[in-house]
Amino acid sequence: MNEGRKSMVDGPGELIPATIPELGRLLAANAKGERRPVLPVGGRTALGFGFPADPSSLEVSTSRLDRVVDYPARDMTVTVEAGCRVASIQASLNSEGQRLPVDVPLAHRATIGGAIASDAGGPRRFGLGTLRDYVIGIRCVTVDGRPFKAGGRVVKNVAGYDLCKLMVGSGGGLAVVTEVTLKLKPLPSSSAIGWACFDRGETVSDLLVDMATSRARPVAIELLGPKAGRQLAVESRQELPVGPLLLGVAVEGNAVEVEWQVEVIDRELRAGGAPDVTWVRDADTAKLWSVLTDYQLGGEAPVTIRACTRPSRIVEFVVAAIDAGVAVQAHAGNGVVHCHLPDETIDVEAAAAVIGSLRELAVAGGGQVIVERCEFGWHNKLLMWGAPRVDWPLMNSVKRQFDPDGLLSPGRGIDGAMQQAAADGMVVE
Amino acid sequence: MASTQPAPDGTVPVAAELVDRFCRILGDDGVLTAADELVVYECDGYVVEKKAPDVVLLPTTTEQVVEIVRTCNEFDVPFVPRGAGTSLAGGCLPVGGGVMIALTRMKRILEVNLQDRYAVVEPGLVNLHLTRHLAGTGFHYAPDPSSQGACTIGGNVATNSGGPHTLKYGVTVNHVLGLEVVMPDGRVVELGGPAEGLAGYDLVGLFVGSEGTFGICTRVTVRLTRDPEAYRTLLGIFETVGDATQAISQIIAAGIVPAALEMMDQGIIEAVEAAYGFGFPLDAAAVLLIEVDGLEVAVDDEAEQIIRLCEEQGAREVRRAETEQQRALLWKCRKQAFGAIGRLSPSYCTQDGVVPRTKLPEILEFIIEAGERHEIRIVNVFHAGDGNIHPILLFDERDEDQIARVFRASDEILGKCIDLGGSVTGEHGIGVEKLEFMERMFTEDDLAVMASVRMAFNPRGSCSPGKMLPTAGACGMEHIERSRPGKQAAS
Repeated sequence: MNEGRKSMVDGPGELIPATIPELGRLLAANAKGERRPVLPVGGRTALGFGFPADPSSLEVSTSRLDRVVDYPARDMTVTVEAGCRVASIQASLNSEGQRLPVDVPLAHRATIGGAIASDAGGPRRFGLGTLRDYVIGIRCVTVDGRPFKAGGRVVKNVAGYDLCKLMVGSGGGLAVVTEVTLKLKPLPSSSAIGWACFDRGETVSDLLVDMATSRARPVAIELLGPKAGRQLAVESRQELPVGPLLLGVAVEGNAVEVEWQVEVIDRELRAGGAPDVTWVRDADTAKLWSVLTDYQLGGEAPVTIRACTRPSRIVEFVVAAIDAGVAVQAHAGNGVVHCHLPDETIDVEAAAAVIGSLRELAVAGGGQVIVERCEFGWHNKLLMWGAPRVDWPLMNSVKRQFDPDGLLSPGRGIDGAMQQAAADGMVVE
Repeated sequence: MASTQPAPDGTVPVAAELVDRFCRILGDDGVLTAADELVVYECDGYVVEKKAPDVVLLPTTTEQVVEIVRTCNEFDVPFVPRGAGTSLAGGCLPVGGGVMIALTRMKRILEVNLQDRYAVVEPGLVNLHLTRHLAGTGFHYAPDPSSQGACTIGGNVATNSGGPHTLKYGVTVNHVLGLEVVMPDGRVVELGGPAEGLAGYDLVGLFVGSEGTFGICTRVTVRLTRDPEAYRTLLGIFETVGDATQAISQIIAAGIVPAALEMMDQGIIEAVEAAYGFGFPLDAAAVLLIEVDGLEVAVDDEAEQIIRLCEEQGAREVRRAETEQQRALLWKCRKQAFGAIGRLSPSYCTQDGVVPRTKLPEILEFIIEAGERHEIRIVNVFHAGDGNIHPILLFDERDEDQIARVFRASDEILGKCIDLGGSVTGEHGIGVEKLEFMERMFTEDDLAVMASVRMAFNPRGSCSPGKMLPTAGACGMEHIERSRPGKQAAS
């Protein structure tokens, strides 16, 4: 441990401990003393998500907890401190022919701890799963400074409750993640993404039904509206087809596997009505992957929402979003959609109307719409998480077990959603 | 409240009034109280600790489960859910007696949705029945425990079951999308569902593997997986266990992720060969059963690469399953290996530990040495690719001294797994068997956090008391002492 290093304090509001024990001591001191709300901070790429943080929060940054603790490459696992940047972890894994096959937005800045807290993911969740499938061990510190762990460093382990799953997507509301062990996969030697444009939603729907039983095994199926399609082409500097609906199908593997699957998918896309298919191969896919992954962050859009629904309802949802002028990217195989409301959405009532109609569609498909980011001051007027689901009170009980006094990221997660639903007159059991 | 007097062993029998209430909920044929019926439920596959429940209930609907749970709470009686009882760590042992809720009559497949790749099933559905139901659709349910012909999906959820093909496809938790749960207070809660990426905590992921201590799952939404386009199944035959484990390390290190990579040693080969007559060489020290799957254009290359790696590690021979029948027979030998052990010994204890995959040679050596030192015969059949070992300790449960030696050898092997950076259970669970190990793997703070999580689900400790965490349940239930295991085993 770097016990010799001193913690840095950046102004009155941010603590940057140099070691995990020091992080524990700082939290314990706060819990016994000032009892300020605590906001865990990683690479600051997802801090704008959801309900705003309490302005009096003590920010606790993991940015100096950036050691690779152990990388036994032959076991295909890696243990890293939470403040390690995702891209730098990937670089060391790649040098051993391995990777963490999860797309994390702004991977050069994002920390692995932050990625876990926000359950970061991207296009390849279709073929490769999400962080919950790769976190096999975790160490955290509670808001009152107690360290705890769950899981371990082996790929199969059922000793104790699986708190790794609980921490993925916990939004920094249960504990501060300090160290994780990840299961790894071999790095594929080849990849390709095929792009085709379609005029009609029905054509895409039919194609997706067929694709579900394709002999190929895509790792990603992306469906983009025209705004997202244009931005993707510009930012990746690729000549992509232009049209109302842009479908991208990606494969990875060795050269033989990729070559064969490209032929299969090319044939299937054309048979399904694609006038043309543009293939982007190997090294050229790198920029596409990062643009496809970062698109969800939304830049300057007044409101960004994330929807989920059943994959069979995805085209209907995307078409409705496009009709409402929304820029839309769907991980179509998973039913996960990122939407940016248009710049013309100048007041909160207009935003609420668009969100309301899309939310109705998502909920009908068994899903949900979450407002991820919005203009300052709109948080109180938009229903950020929608109507309460039946498991929310249980989630809130779990939150209270970890953080009985509501000191950790208060109001940013399930607690905020419950308060908002209650204030809105909705019954929360 | 019913008035009940503690029995001599400290447990409290359920009142006749309570049994009447259960009969009204379930009808007489859903309530078992006769001693000769209850004895069936006195243990799971972990036979050295036994305790019959006071009553076994066989509900057919979620509503009945709710009524049972509410009634148990009214009478302040603990309850424990049970599937097929194939678990191997005493996970469904009714510690302290009370009510056992057997979910085997809730076995319907409620929905199959291929386009959205999920199925909704009841918890008592036998794992293999789902896969059979899906045959021909191009999809299957990936977790395939060796007991899949008997074990239930609900039981798989409770223990986060694995199986040979979980090396590539992941364990149960990677394939469960949603759950309907009757909470220990009788509330019904839906966790997750077929749409992925819902906001909030992953309570589905947390519930899977909670060994019945968070509530009773009454409906499961599982993910369906595409069938592989092609597979190749290989049998590597080795002169020494060391060569076989080195080959495993080499395969994983080469960046190959086989669909399955299983090892059987000489002792188990002998039993399996006697039972199924596959044609295993009886003089081989170990065999590796290796399956690769994927695209037809790729599997041959991968198989060739594996054959080469095995040969470099001194494999005597690597055979290929040339027909579907040969493949099926190989897998039958592997999955029903446990059934063949009866030929070797009257009783056996299947251990379950995990080590980092590169430590397999070390743990195997240790197992052999521990067996010799304690004069206990140990045979091995396990998920080598995951580093998940299953030493099977053979004994006669009428011999108390042998049982004591089995415990000592088991404890040492599991201790060694911890020392090597592994875990005391990869897929069987903590149950009652491994409670003592929790304090060796986890700190007081770790266990306190886990206990606090259980408080959110099961604050009174009435559901599956005495499981998973070494602390006593809120009802003051103590787990059965292992100090006189021989007596319990013989009772």
